[in-house]
Amino acid sequence: MNIWKLSIKNIKSKPLYTFLSVFVLALSVFLLLAVRQLESSLAFQIKNNLGAIDLVIGAKGSPLQLVLSSVLFLDNPTGNIPYAEAKKISKSPFVKTAVPISYGDNYKGYKIVGTTDKFATLYDAKLKEGRNVEKSMEVIVGATVAKQLDLKLGDTFQSSHGLIENGIDVHDEHMIIVGIYKTTNKVIDRLIVSNLESVWDIHHHDSHEINDEHHGHDEHHEHHEKEIEEEALSREVTSVLISFRNPSAFITFPKQINSTTNMQAALPKYELDKLYQYTGIGFKTVSWIAYIILIISCLTIFISLYKMVKERSFELALLRTYGASNFQLIRMVAYEGISIGVFAFLLGYALLRMGIFIMFTFFETDFDQYILQQIPYTELLKIGGGVLVMIIFSVLFAIYPIIKMNISTTLSNEK
Amino acid sequence: MLKVNNLTFQYKNAKTSFSFPNLDLKEGENLLVLGKSGIGKTTFLHLLAGLLTPTSGEVIIDDVPIYSLSNAALDKFRGQNIGVIFQKKHAIQSLNSIENIKTRLFFSGKPNDTNKINLLLDHLNIDECKYNNVTTLSEGQLQRLSIAMAVIHEPRVILADEPTSSLDDENCKKVIDLLIQQAQLTKAILIVITHDHRVKSLFSNSITL
Repeated sequence: MNIWKLSIKNIKSKPLYTFLSVFVLALSVFLLLAVRQLESSLAFQIKNNLGAIDLVIGAKGSPLQLVLSSVLFLDNPTGNIPYAEAKKISKSPFVKTAVPISYGDNYKGYKIVGTTDKFATLYDAKLKEGRNVEKSMEVIVGATVAKQLDLKLGDTFQSSHGLIENGIDVHDEHMIIVGIYKTTNKVIDRLIVSNLESVWDIHHHDSHEINDEHHGHDEHHEHHEKEIEEEALSREVTSVLISFRNPSAFITFPKQINSTTNMQAALPKYELDKLYQYTGIGFKTVSWIAYIILIISCLTIFISLYKMVKERSFELALLRTYGASNFQLIRMVAYEGISIGVFAFLLGYALLRMGIFIMFTFFETDFDQYILQQIPYTELLKIGGGVLVMIIFSVLFAIYPIIKMNISTTLSNEK
Repeated sequence: MLKVNNLTFQYKNAKTSFSFPNLDLKEGENLLVLGKSGIGKTTFLHLLAGLLTPTSGEVIIDDVPIYSLSNAALDKFRGQNIGVIFQKKHAIQSLNSIENIKTRLFFSGKPNDTNKINLLLDHLNIDECKYNNVTTLSEGQLQRLSIAMAVIHEPRVILADEPTSSLDDENCKKVIDLLIQQAQLTKAILIVITHDHRVKSLFSNSITL
């Protein structure tokens, strides 16, 4: 027998109280951890997906929509901009790289993005197998797309019009998979990447066919290349993703675009920070609720310990006659509180892991892009420390009767 | 060896004070302390057990004046050298019988000798309920368990407060016999404090408060 065993026996002897204490405390730990988890994951996710993108230029409209659609691929585009304009912008001395993107089709819900080779470098995406796109109708698929749709090199598919899956508006052309990207944990994992021509070809197919008929077969080839060049400049893209040469561009360049052109420039970091602040209010509210539950749970623990000390005062006095010191009795109560705290913390953490597991199992495709960051250790320590402090307070108040106890009176009082 | 010298005690805010007879008992001696209710019997026992600080006088056990010890040292001394059977039969309710005894040994700092425990439980005829939770024990079993708790650590002094008040004549004699027997086994001093005159004949040595 030792003091730990005595504490555990005490805890076991009042299962309902123990269950209540542990459950309520675990609930608050779970909520606190979950909020931190989501918060840090969201922050990471946003930062991660920005990649090297400093600025997005697209059609006028909501800047947040432009960012959501062109950077996170979560919303519909604001419209299109002329490719020629985009080309012009990329010549600016402020611009290090400019990547035009154009999209409007999907395959089984995964968006097909027409762009240039530089797109992959924005996300640091490397080929796992296959090669880069060389001509129209060739695509490279992101890691998640390949896994979820079980796609392999050489597979072909027909895209459908629009950004959500539909079986009605299917394009005739077959796209062929020539490459698969490695997992990046960025948005590119969930995209199908082609060149710009693929997107244009699909949408201008009809006019192209009519044009072709006017040319003889011999002259067809040389004309064709020229044609593409000319046509390309009259084409449109959805937006241009830009990374700057130096930070001073952040101030002047967007203003310049917004005032001198018919397009809008949006700073993704700024827009997403704004969005993040809005969602932050939700996180704060849940945090407060969790803190209130934490206080309530510590009150429960205090009441449970205090009740034990009061109700078992005779037993505690008896232990004193057995040779137990005041300090040993205090330790007994403290261990009881700490055991409940530790157990509740572990249970809260287990609930969190379980919640995440369930979320991933049942909503796998929806959440795949949403990379869950491990909660930072400092946060775990903070929450664990908070729980410990609350328990120490509960214990300190609960042991007061032990310190004040008069063994003789307690033992003489008939109850 | 137990000595009591000029022991007096006064409760806070109380007018009357108790003064207690001097005692000088040797190893293995028994003493019956008789007295009416309210005369300070339990107070006397608590003073002997080091549970109450006297107003004046001293209690010396094995040459140690126990009230000159610090609180912590007194806790330890009490745990090792004194065994008390309280009037109210009580044990730690979250534990079974044998765990209660082990707890007693743990706090007194004595080794946890399972053989000895079993022997004692057998002797007191409660070995069949050693794994029973104490809340399920009968009055008689609880009585015998509290005797076990008072003697298991082989104390120098065994103090019993009204051990027979709720028992019939037959069991009354049995319990006193057991106490005397256990005290003899370890050559402990046994002091029984009671208002129960039935037990008078069982002791050779008695005083009245």
